[in-house]
Amino acid sequence: MRRFFVCSVVWAMALVLLPSGVSAFQEEGTLRIGGMWALSGPAAYVGSSSNGLSSLAIDEINEAGGVEIKGKRVKLVKYAYDDACKAEEGLTIVRRLADSDKVLFSLGPTCSNVAEPVFGTLQKRLDDPNDTGLQFLFFTDTAIKFGLAKISPWAFRNVGNEPAMFDLTFQLVQEKYPDLKTVAVAYESDFAHSVSTWKGAVKPALEKYGYQVLDVVEWRFEDTEFGPQTSKLRKLNPDILVMLSHTYTTCGSMKEFKRQRVKSKLMVGITSTANTETMTACGMAVEGMIIPTNFAPINPKAKEIAELAWAKYKADSNLHSVPAYENIYAIKGIVEKVGIDNEPHTLLADRRKVRDALAKLGTFQGIIGPIKMNGDDDPVKPRDVDKAVILVQAKGGEWTVWWQPPEMEQDKQ
Amino acid sequence: MAETLIDVIQQLINGLMYGAFYALIGLGFTLFFGVMKKFNLAYGPTIMVGIYLGLIPLYVWEAPIWTVFIACVAGAVAVGFVVEFACFRFLRQGHELAPLMTTIGMLILLQEAVVIVTHALPYEYPAVFGDESWELGPFLIRPDYVAMLLTGVILVVVLYVVVNRTRFGRAMRAVAENPTVARLLGVSVNRMNTLTFALTSALGGATGFFVAISLGALQPGIASWMTIKGLVVIVIGGLGSIPGAILAGLLLGVVELQALWFLGIGYRDIFAYVLLFAFLVLRPAGLLGKAAT
Repeated sequence: MRRFFVCSVVWAMALVLLPSGVSAFQEEGTLRIGGMWALSGPAAYVGSSSNGLSSLAIDEINEAGGVEIKGKRVKLVKYAYDDACKAEEGLTIVRRLADSDKVLFSLGPTCSNVAEPVFGTLQKRLDDPNDTGLQFLFFTDTAIKFGLAKISPWAFRNVGNEPAMFDLTFQLVQEKYPDLKTVAVAYESDFAHSVSTWKGAVKPALEKYGYQVLDVVEWRFEDTEFGPQTSKLRKLNPDILVMLSHTYTTCGSMKEFKRQRVKSKLMVGITSTANTETMTACGMAVEGMIIPTNFAPINPKAKEIAELAWAKYKADSNLHSVPAYENIYAIKGIVEKVGIDNEPHTLLADRRKVRDALAKLGTFQGIIGPIKMNGDDDPVKPRDVDKAVILVQAKGGEWTVWWQPPEMEQDKQ
Repeated sequence: MAETLIDVIQQLINGLMYGAFYALIGLGFTLFFGVMKKFNLAYGPTIMVGIYLGLIPLYVWEAPIWTVFIACVAGAVAVGFVVEFACFRFLRQGHELAPLMTTIGMLILLQEAVVIVTHALPYEYPAVFGDESWELGPFLIRPDYVAMLLTGVILVVVLYVVVNRTRFGRAMRAVAENPTVARLLGVSVNRMNTLTFALTSALGGATGFFVAISLGALQPGIASWMTIKGLVVIVIGGLGSIPGAILAGLLLGVVELQALWFLGIGYRDIFAYVLLFAFLVLRPAGLLGKAAT
């Protein structure tokens, strides 16, 4: 009896762990794509929004007939996993997507602290037989820490350029509020995005525009008590408060600011907080905060997508999640243009074709404007994009546009 | 100098009041261990689910805040019954690590269940006392912390009376001392364990309500935070010691906030764990626990 039980368990495990994709992709009429996002944990809101926007794009493409490959229309099938914003989970999932699920490419990860080690497992030098890294394509929608795409020629990103975004932000702030001179900064010292935004984006911008940084206070990503840090800020009385913390700690700290009567003339926030989650959780506590972003529902298409994504998937449309939608359409266009074979034995070659085409893509259409993919040879940010920056402000419990590029104003008219 | 003294006293006040959270959470863990001689790592998520259930009257019926409190307590008690049934009731005696494993599993299950049900959306908890502080000379006092402290005092007094002055408390102490003899004397050990779960879960629900109104925004990660702090408190206080848990919670709160103020965020956690290790090495019985013989 015991032997039977053990044998059954072993067979069941073997069946579960057998690599999938034994049948041909083209034969089964599917094109496999992957996604790894934080679907649980503190970043789950961001990850699940990206997942939702990607599902929206897949639904639209499949309802329109699918992707055309070798004269046949195939449906997109997504293999999505939860990395919980943890590096060890991401490292497991990337192997599964690449080798077991045999997807063409993957969206995600959500968190930069996952993307960094995951990209580190990818091949570093193309066509090097001695480089045994994974030949697996990422087209990332969220992990925004500057420079991640440099890690591997297989890593591409459609994310914001935070140094440029904050440079523009403080340039505009200085133009509009020239009397504001002093700044205090708060950031999450244990979260890669916060740290890199402070050190790589905000600090250089503040120095460039001559702001005096009175002090920098820190808390942790999941902290619940902000009293001591707030007391320090209260004593400083800065003109501008720069809040480089994510939604949960932003809400808690802003409420503590109110309790201790910390009131600056202006607040600037981190890109990730320009979303519905912040409004839902923080309410009027973030009133007046200005944040640079790459997405706002400023045209009919953007509004339509935002409404559909919420209605169908409870997915918030923001600068992190909308790229998931855009990336799928970009890859669809590439696949149909370059032509892949979409067979299990041609998977590596197909990934390489799509990778090379993505590197040469140039400009493609995003939801609110054109997006330019930088090639492999870009000296500053290879395989990252340039796209329009909008500044939004929390007003009356909603995100309103504080500034947008003049050409977008004209398009709206 | 005067300003430094004000800072020290302000952080002492904050630390004592914040430490009251830790004390109440640690109290629940202590009660479990004291009666059942087992760790319940699902206590933190029990409180967390209770807090989420407390939102139902608020969001669905726009009911007044006292109904949220009742719902938190009732929700935590209901989850406590589930945890007791699923993680403890059918475990065999002698398998010491089994409750640890089952409650770790329940911790993960409850946390992820909340993530799935809520779509990972954060929920705003009402600020019962507003976002203001009371001024007491140069010091600022949070009214929600004061309310929590006073409620904590009341709960501890009620707990003391229940444990020491009632028949139920006598039976609970008998089971804690020697379940076999208690059974021989006609005490239903299973029933006492269930009622202990109910009592500690109710305590947790009440604590959770004040945690939530102080935080203002709810997310499932607070379950892990409460679990870790609770375990640190019961080790420092002494396993099974109620006064020890209270003292340890207050001590932890003070140490953390003073370290945070004077040295920064990195040292807050270092000092908290140095305190833990110091007790484990130098005084393993904790502040008021019984030394091993």
